[in-house]
Amino acid sequence: MSNATEVWPTGLTEGQALEIHRNLIQGTQMFGVIAALAHLLAYIYSPWLH
Amino acid sequence: MIYGRLWLVVKPTVGIPLLLGAVAVGSFAVHTALLTNTSWVKKFLNGSAASAVVQTQSTVASVAPPTLQV
Repeated sequence: MSNATEVWPTGLTEGQALEIHRNLIQGTQMFGVIAALAHLLAYIYSPWLH
Repeated sequence: MIYGRLWLVVKPTVGIPLLLGAVAVGSFAVHTALLTNTSWVKKFLNGSAASAVVQTQSTVASVAPPTLQV
């Protein structure tokens, strides 16, 4: 971790950047689970791959 | 990992909408490709997907290779 007082182009501290990223990754994982469920339903209820 | 440090150089108010927009465009493209390259999506949207499934299976059966008569 670089020192917390360093100023970056976006003006965020490293802690803030990592916090945003953690939430973005969690949201992406939720999107992934929903997409996997949608593909499962499409596989079951549609002629896709049959 | 280092990826979280992206937001030190890319403004989240720019990066996140860009990311979500790219996912939306990609998803729209896949759905459009499915709609234009398959028949069953159109049938589903017209409310006759069940017959589309049956019909796809029957066409597969009718196209089966002829068995060798010995």
